[in-house]
Amino acid sequence: MEALGLLLHGFAVLLTWKILVLMMAGLVLGIFVGVLPGLGGPNGVAILLPLTFTMDPTSAIVMLSCIYWGALFGGAITSILFNIPGEAWSVATTFDGYPMAQQGRAAEALTAAFTSSFIGSLVAVLLITFLAPMISSFALKFGPPEFFAVYLLTFCSFVGLGRESRHKIVISMSLGLLLAGVGMDTVSGQLRMTFGSAELLRGINFLVAVIGLFGISEILLTMEERLALRGHAASISLRVVLGVWKDLPKYWVTLLRSSFIGCWLGITPGGAIAASFMGYNLAKRFAKDPETFGKGRIEGVFAPETAAHASGTSALLPMLALGIPGSGTAAILLGGLMVWGLNPGPLLFVEHKDFVWGLIASMYLGNVVGLVLVLTTVPIFASILRVPFAAVAPMIVVSCAIGAYAIQNAMFDIWLMLGFGVVGYVFKKVGIPLAPFTLALVLGNRAEDAFRLSMIGSGGDLKVFWSNGLVGSITTLAVLLLFWPAIDGLLARIVWTRRASR
Amino acid sequence: MSQTDLEIVVDDPTAPEDDSPSVVSSGSVESVVCLLLLALAAMLGYDNWRTGASWDATGPEPGYFPFYLSVILGGGSLYGLIAALLSRRKSAETFVTRAQAYRVLAVFVPTLLFCLVTQFLGLYVGSFLLIAGFMRAIGKIALWKSLLTALVFTAIMFATFDVAFDVIMPKGPLEAAFGY
Amino acid sequence: MRAAAVLLASLWVAPAFAGWEPTKPVEIVVAAGAGGASDQMARMMQAAIQKNNLMKQPMVVSLKGGASGAEALMYMKSSEGDPNKVLIAYSLIYMLPLSAKIPFNWRELTPVSVIALDQFVLWDNSAGPKTVKEFVAAAKAASSPFKMGGTGSKREDHVLTVFLEQKTGAKFSYLPYKSGGEAATQLVGNHTESNVNNPSENLEVWRAGQVRPLCVFDKERISYAAKVTDTQSWADIPTCKEEGIDVQYLMLRAMFLPGKVTPEQQAFYVELFHKVTQTAEYKDYMEKQALKPIFLTGKDMVQFLEEDDAQNKALMTEAGFVAK
Repeated sequence: MEALGLLLHGFAVLLTWKILVLMMAGLVLGIFVGVLPGLGGPNGVAILLPLTFTMDPTSAIVMLSCIYWGALFGGAITSILFNIPGEAWSVATTFDGYPMAQQGRAAEALTAAFTSSFIGSLVAVLLITFLAPMISSFALKFGPPEFFAVYLLTFCSFVGLGRESRHKIVISMSLGLLLAGVGMDTVSGQLRMTFGSAELLRGINFLVAVIGLFGISEILLTMEERLALRGHAASISLRVVLGVWKDLPKYWVTLLRSSFIGCWLGITPGGAIAASFMGYNLAKRFAKDPETFGKGRIEGVFAPETAAHASGTSALLPMLALGIPGSGTAAILLGGLMVWGLNPGPLLFVEHKDFVWGLIASMYLGNVVGLVLVLTTVPIFASILRVPFAAVAPMIVVSCAIGAYAIQNAMFDIWLMLGFGVVGYVFKKVGIPLAPFTLALVLGNRAEDAFRLSMIGSGGDLKVFWSNGLVGSITTLAVLLLFWPAIDGLLARIVWTRRASR
Repeated sequence: MSQTDLEIVVDDPTAPEDDSPSVVSSGSVESVVCLLLLALAAMLGYDNWRTGASWDATGPEPGYFPFYLSVILGGGSLYGLIAALLSRRKSAETFVTRAQAYRVLAVFVPTLLFCLVTQFLGLYVGSFLLIAGFMRAIGKIALWKSLLTALVFTAIMFATFDVAFDVIMPKGPLEAAFGY
Repeated sequence: MRAAAVLLASLWVAPAFAGWEPTKPVEIVVAAGAGGASDQMARMMQAAIQKNNLMKQPMVVSLKGGASGAEALMYMKSSEGDPNKVLIAYSLIYMLPLSAKIPFNWRELTPVSVIALDQFVLWDNSAGPKTVKEFVAAAKAASSPFKMGGTGSKREDHVLTVFLEQKTGAKFSYLPYKSGGEAATQLVGNHTESNVNNPSENLEVWRAGQVRPLCVFDKERISYAAKVTDTQSWADIPTCKEEGIDVQYLMLRAMFLPGKVTPEQQAFYVELFHKVTQTAEYKDYMEKQALKPIFLTGKDMVQFLEEDDAQNKALMTEAGFVAK
């Protein structure tokens, strides 16, 4: 029950006018960003991050996380009304959401999406609430070898579980790790890969890279694909909302299953994208009439939305507790934490209780307020898409530039952003995944430092990664995941031969 | 609920036809990307070799990881290069059509100019010129609308960042004339 | 609106103040990451200046901790003639150019004032040895070298570790972390046996009873006698010399303007920071973080810097940290 006391304390931190206003502002900005083509959760958060630099960390994280919730809600609006997934994890929502809109049931689909997002997040927040206190006691066990093992696990799971061609993941990740190493090396205090340039001295900031890779390149891609939207207008009446809510209990199995999948994939670095597809596919598989999926079934909206939000929310847990982001947006929030002088990691729960519990409390409040806000403002936000793209595109470019510049007050970063924009565009088109690249850029330095500190501590003995149960099991798991495709194949063959011999 | 089923259609006024000829194939772009990455890997690899890439008494030297990463990157891109050259399907696939390339350049070139203007005249001037120019030239939107939108947007940005939140943006002679 | 307000304000003030005054927000450039000792100090000064109305223009803290602070140094160097940027410097201005061959020399900047001196303390985990003698004996007896945490490589903490080795004969393996805070938590978690953090960096964990101060690297004890923990004050920590290890090191905290600013501009800031050192915020901060108050400017400051530079250079050379 320690959790409840801490949570109440968190609410006490939040309930000031200033924070409530920031929360609303964050939600509105977030929905806006989620609806605009060419933006989306991670970019929105990255671009708006500088706004929070002068705030205290608690207000800042509340505002940013509200931008995040808002963007998640906003993504659903475009998926259902316009068949444009604002984020990769909204793709599965379009399968049944858009057909529903075509049948004139747009309001119903939207209500279903918002409600299930809310349920998914709520389950995940409950989970975080009750797991968080345990983390702080677990916290102090983490030294350099443990940290390295966890980073290794993240990297390996990307290579082992990724769906793109293996060599492209390797290219993307090694490039990210290399660029992360530019600048001064903390362990030796030596400069490397700067080629004598004063601009490269400070290294390549990953937020700048993210803004270019996702923001600018998305504009280029949207332009290339020519924006001709056909969508459905919608406004939501109370009657429709209540109608959908009344039917909710009928779908409790779907909702529970998707929440569970979401939480599991959010905490392990599977991510929201995998969660939404898995949620959708399982709902379809267990349905009595799977052929009606894809033709406008409300469960086809419930399942992926619940899973995506459960995973998007629970991804914040490993980010706060271990410093490992479970999603792109979590990675950006992680960068924010460092800017505000908070060291993400187990000790955050010990040293900055106000911050952590304020954030958790804001997840509850933000989701409730967000739900009400989206239900009432759908028509306004949907009409944003009527603004000509020729006006929106340059505004997004300017916002990206402001975001990139403000991080380090460097003109060089605007050029870097432009460069990364081109790289992102080309990489997306030739199928080199950007997620491993971003992840490597965020974690590269920390992983290398952790490894080298472990080596200094152990006198260069690699056995330190198996020196106790905790670090040993994480390292072993990482190695297993790296070779998962091979192991999976082997297991399949064993099962097959057994069956054959039977 | 019939009023909820209005259709919104948003069309690009410059929409061209779809049967535009291919400019370059996916296969050749992939080969070029791999070649560039290979060159980058070689350059970084050399620099790290110079920094020191061995394993001394206290563990790896500063260049150790980056050196082997460049080797991995080099290997990956070499593999990609060979795969791209061998794959028939890829070399037939279109990377961009001429119309697409034209549209991409239509936003890339203004963005590039915007960065240049920002460097010399400051971000707010650049922002005004980019928005007004882009809306007018690419979007074919009425001049007064373009100018007004650009002015309002730039003013909001200025008020938010420079005034309200003390996040200071690059500025040029124009702002200096007003005392900022 | 704001331009008008500024104009109005300057009209009002003009008769009272002769000489130069900033016309734009002033940037305090911090050569370290957020939350570090320099950042905290910059924010204290920002608050002191704003609360006591010492300057008309606002002050903005600008963090340039990239490349272990080299980013801030290069930034100051390239801002020649700009009187709206002040650097809050520490010993990195001597050490970085030596260890990483950064093309920087503090003589290219305009010195304003030295505002404090920071202490270094030898700490161990509260479950570890209780005195310096026991600690040294345990370090010598250990089968693998004791792990010493610190901030950055080839910097103050590292230099101190090398001298500790020379004076005691014990071996340490030095673990360079990104910040003093990280070094503190790693000591609490028993992943290192000791660290040489500044008082401010270990303050919280000391108060929580998780670490123990063994000795302070100065010729005299810290003067603050108010209780910090239930039983101890800063003044209760013995000096390392008392405990038989003759190693002393103090780190400057000083303000610099970029090069080529006018004497009037320099004079404005000397006056400003002098006023800051008179404020209650400053005095409070000094005591809380156990800093040594000092105010040097003009010739005294330059002389201090030259001597300090020579001493740091000698230490770095002796420790073998000067890049070839």
